[in-house]
Amino acid sequence: MTFAWKAAGLTYNRYLAVAARVVRRSLKDDKRLLAERRGQQDLRFAKWTNGKQGELKNLAEANAQASVESAATGGTA
Amino acid sequence: MNSLRIARAALRARPAAIRAPLQRRGYAEAVSDKIKLSLSLPHQSIYKSQDAVQVNIPAESGEMGVLANHVPSIEQLKAGIVEVIEESGSKRFFLSGGFAVVQPNSALSINAVEGFPLEDFSADAVRAQISEAQKVANGSGSEQDIAEAKIELEVLESLQAHLK
Repeated sequence: MTFAWKAAGLTYNRYLAVAARVVRRSLKDDKRLLAERRGQQDLRFAKWTNGKQGELKNLAEANAQASVESAATGGTA
Repeated sequence: MNSLRIARAALRARPAAIRAPLQRRGYAEAVSDKIKLSLSLPHQSIYKSQDAVQVNIPAESGEMGVLANHVPSIEQLKAGIVEVIEESGSKRFFLSGGFAVVQPNSALSINAVEGFPLEDFSADAVRAQISEAQKVANGSGSEQDIAEAKIELEVLESLQAHLK
């Protein structure tokens, strides 16, 4: 059995994240605020090459972008 | 007629007499008929090896009820209701999907990313999200966006069906 999301190039990890996100958003307001605060992250990273710091990127945004790219090329990341 | 009734009574009496010695058991044989349930999320343990009579789980292969002494198995879970039946009553949780592992010694571990009691959900929020996800699913976004919207729809529709 092949899942539709698998055919579209999404990973199981991504599937779980999407399902969990939508469950959090369906909660009553007080519980939803607590649950969504738990998912907040604010990490930034930069790649250093030849002793120079590269562009500073937000980890969550870079991850989302990378997963879209890998899904489009059929990667397994 | 009378002799027939006596014969039948004798037939009925005998199995009970045979069974009686087997019903006596010592301390070592007195095993629990409960299943030890652990229901864990990354941020919280809802059940920590607590006794339950029966646990109903929404496996990808179909709904299943797990009692004590169940055959060991690993089941992928759909987003849906896990019903925990305890002696004091039953509780229902909506899980976002994960895995259930039935272990050989009457232990059941359920792992999920998100799980909340059914009464924590808002029917209005679910309805609003369904119409939004439908728009994306039928729109002209990328293949990934449509696939994600379809996952959301599947979860939301399961949730809506249980909220009614």
